Amino acid sequence: MDASRDKTGLPPASGGAGRAPARRRLGLLDSSRGLGVLLLLPALVLVILFFLMPVVLTGVFAFTNMSTATGISGGAHQVSPGSLRVLTERYGMGELAERLGQPTYLVDERGLAALEETGIAPGIVASLRRGHLDESFASRREFERAIRALPDRPDTRTVKRISDAFSRSLANARFTDAGALVAAAEAIDPDLTPEEKDALASATYTGWSWTTDNFRRLTSSRDTTRVFFNTLFFVAMTLVFFNIGYAMFLAIATHYMPERPAGIFRIVWFLPRISPVVIYVLLWKWVAWDTGFLNAVLSDFGVRPRNWMLDSATQAWFFVIMINGFVGASMGMLIFASAIKAIPETHFHAASVDGAYRWQQVRHIILPQLKWPILFVTCYQTLSLLTSIEQTLLATDGGPGGATEVWSLWIYHTALNNYAGNLQYGYGAAMALVLVVIGIVLSLIYLRLFNYNALITRPRIEL
Amino acid sequence: MTISRLAIWAGAAAVALLGNIGIAAAQNVTISVWSGGTGPNDNYRVDAIEMAADILERERAIAGEDLNITVEKKAYPGWDDFKQALTLAAEAGNAPNIVVTGHEDIAPWSQSGLIVPAEDYLNLDAWPINDIYENLMEIASYGGVVYGLPQDAESRPFFFWKPHMKAIGYSDEDLEALPARVQAGEYTLANVLEDAKKMQDAGVVQAGYGFYPRPENGPDYWQFYTSFGGVMEEDGKLVLDKAAMQRFYQFFADAVAAGVTRKNHIGTPNDQWYSEVPSGKVGIWHGGTWHYARYVNQEGLKDFFGNIAFTLIPAGEGGKANTLTHPLVYLLTSKHGEDETTIAAELIKIASEPRINTLHAIKSAHLGIAHQQSNIDLYSSDRWAREATERLLPHANAMPNNTNFGVYWSAMWKGLESAWTGQKTPEQAVNDVEAELRNSLGEAIVIR
Repeated sequence: MDASRDKTGLPPASGGAGRAPARRRLGLLDSSRGLGVLLLLPALVLVILFFLMPVVLTGVFAFTNMSTATGISGGAHQVSPGSLRVLTERYGMGELAERLGQPTYLVDERGLAALEETGIAPGIVASLRRGHLDESFASRREFERAIRALPDRPDTRTVKRISDAFSRSLANARFTDAGALVAAAEAIDPDLTPEEKDALASATYTGWSWTTDNFRRLTSSRDTTRVFFNTLFFVAMTLVFFNIGYAMFLAIATHYMPERPAGIFRIVWFLPRISPVVIYVLLWKWVAWDTGFLNAVLSDFGVRPRNWMLDSATQAWFFVIMINGFVGASMGMLIFASAIKAIPETHFHAASVDGAYRWQQVRHIILPQLKWPILFVTCYQTLSLLTSIEQTLLATDGGPGGATEVWSLWIYHTALNNYAGNLQYGYGAAMALVLVVIGIVLSLIYLRLFNYNALITRPRIEL
Repeated sequence: MTISRLAIWAGAAAVALLGNIGIAAAQNVTISVWSGGTGPNDNYRVDAIEMAADILERERAIAGEDLNITVEKKAYPGWDDFKQALTLAAEAGNAPNIVVTGHEDIAPWSQSGLIVPAEDYLNLDAWPINDIYENLMEIASYGGVVYGLPQDAESRPFFFWKPHMKAIGYSDEDLEALPARVQAGEYTLANVLEDAKKMQDAGVVQAGYGFYPRPENGPDYWQFYTSFGGVMEEDGKLVLDKAAMQRFYQFFADAVAAGVTRKNHIGTPNDQWYSEVPSGKVGIWHGGTWHYARYVNQEGLKDFFGNIAFTLIPAGEGGKANTLTHPLVYLLTSKHGEDETTIAAELIKIASEPRINTLHAIKSAHLGIAHQQSNIDLYSSDRWAREATERLLPHANAMPNNTNFGVYWSAMWKGLESAWTGQKTPEQAVNDVEAELRNSLGEAIVIR
């Protein structure tokens, strides 16, 4: 049997035991540690792809001036009116800008030779030489008219090739790299100085570049403080009043109810979380709109119809916090309710025998034992509220007048929403990076504050 | 081999050969076209490309080419979603061949290389391009290069609900003379607020419905900046005229303070606005030429001219009456094969044919792009197209094609929103816009 194994080219068993080679072949799977890594691998790939990469990319983008105008994948060199202005104003090279940027078409021997090489009909070249040698044109359209007037009228594609061959300026030309640009510039003006070449290359670059300017903009913008405090207000209010406060109220209230109605109540309060966000917010809008439910009812009492959601900053906040809060409250309710259920019934019976009121039970039995669930919900919900965007976007879109613009919405408005089609990815990423840093710092503080290690140690007593 | 067998073989060979030639010459091309801000009346923005494809296939067939064009159309009703989808698709290399969008996108998109100049593929002296209005061709150009072809033209009038104007003392003659008075600067934005207030006091409209402007961001608001003497761009450089901007913000703050415009008006759903204005619920408002089609086709307004008077946007202090034209343009995107882009270029050329463009102009109540459209009965017999062209178009400005205009625009709108809703005073709002623009644009904008 061993011999037949040798024939297959497998190494002989070193320990002499028949099972040994099979074990060795498993390699990494041989130990539980190795197997663990292997089994975790798919999850690890997902974590890297969907959690780590976005953060890393945000960090990278934050230090660039990327926008729709610069593109993401890289730039080119384009002699546009904007770049000529930069050349004039920033580098003081107005004369160079004028020389390179003024459209000029010159029919000369060099161009004719180049044209012949491209394999264009000799008749066209001959008639160009005969009719237009040394003639110059100040616009492409004018020159192309002359080309089309030649005896053997070329088609549009050929006309374009011909006019390209005689272009003697860089007006609106686009080059993939600086080398090609400088070569083309030197063909027009052989005496370019190195400074002029550098200035030309940098002024005409259309792509993104590394910069810390986003952070300078962020620290000096007046909006930053406003949006920051908006976010703080939003998170604190929603958290305290709904995600913890209201959730706790619901959990305790349903705890003291008979089982069946309690279940129904919990399901009802769970609806905001399980209904699609768009429909959920739309229902709120129908309540608040000029022609909505609230106005239909109130108009009977002589109240002037108005858009309640956007009427004032206070009202907008009221709605934004309610909309977000009702979604968040359901999660707290569920966690608190199950935590209360985990408290042994005997505690409540004993307390009742001792004559404790409901409030005293809540104060001395429930709340002390809910410390960890409260910690968890606070941590989790702070972080999720910081990045929450969809409900606010759909409800007020940051209005009225930017009153409910929170940080995550501000990022969206900067990086992914611009009426004139110029999205500022870099600046938006810088804003997002700030949010990432705040999130990480907050997580660390929470872990420290509530002593995370104590949470994961083995309980010392068995109940 | 008998002769008949030979003939069969020869015939078979000939059929095979011809068949092969047929297969080799048949060219199947898919051209995709995406269009922004395209509602139910604007279907010819993309349908025109399909009609053009049919014509081009026939032209090529006559020249002996078997060209099959499949046109894939996608129309986005809004703008924000469209621009987001398009720019991100382009970054991922999935941009459509043809884009129908506002001309202000030309500057940033040409810089990023998203679009290619249309003039690289088209003979600008050929029909129908040589018939397109010169100023529209300029709007479709950047740095002297023609990047696209105008798809439509329009302008943005001020509307007055005639019965309500009569209720506060205007006669039919007064209303007829109104457009001329607005143009001459005799009837100003201050009068607008006065009349709106009168209508509310007379009880013909509810409070907040006297002056009922566009409820969301849009090019319209630059008209008010112009009305108060503001300039968007000078010699290719963006300009912020602080005093004009402040007067413009003040106007809307005053309208809110006087109670003729609602403080929470911004954010009113668009559909609600469109249905309220042609119903007599509103006194004075502003919109675009396409509103005519919407009011008549979708909102059930029977007698447009009997109920609505339209004028230029009245002048404010320091400025003059004006309107804004915001032509959409057909643009060609990069990263497609040379042949495909040549075909796409041919298609946008043919789609600009006056007769085809007139279908869009009249159905959607936009204005024509070419001289010859006034010789097409469908166009010339349309009262709205005729009157709007005469009254508005000669006074129309356009927004600049400038890479940084989007940043300026966002700041302007944010400032207006905060002054309108009372979050800031107009002065604070303008100072914040200035700080924001100095911070973000630096030397790229002139502030005075």
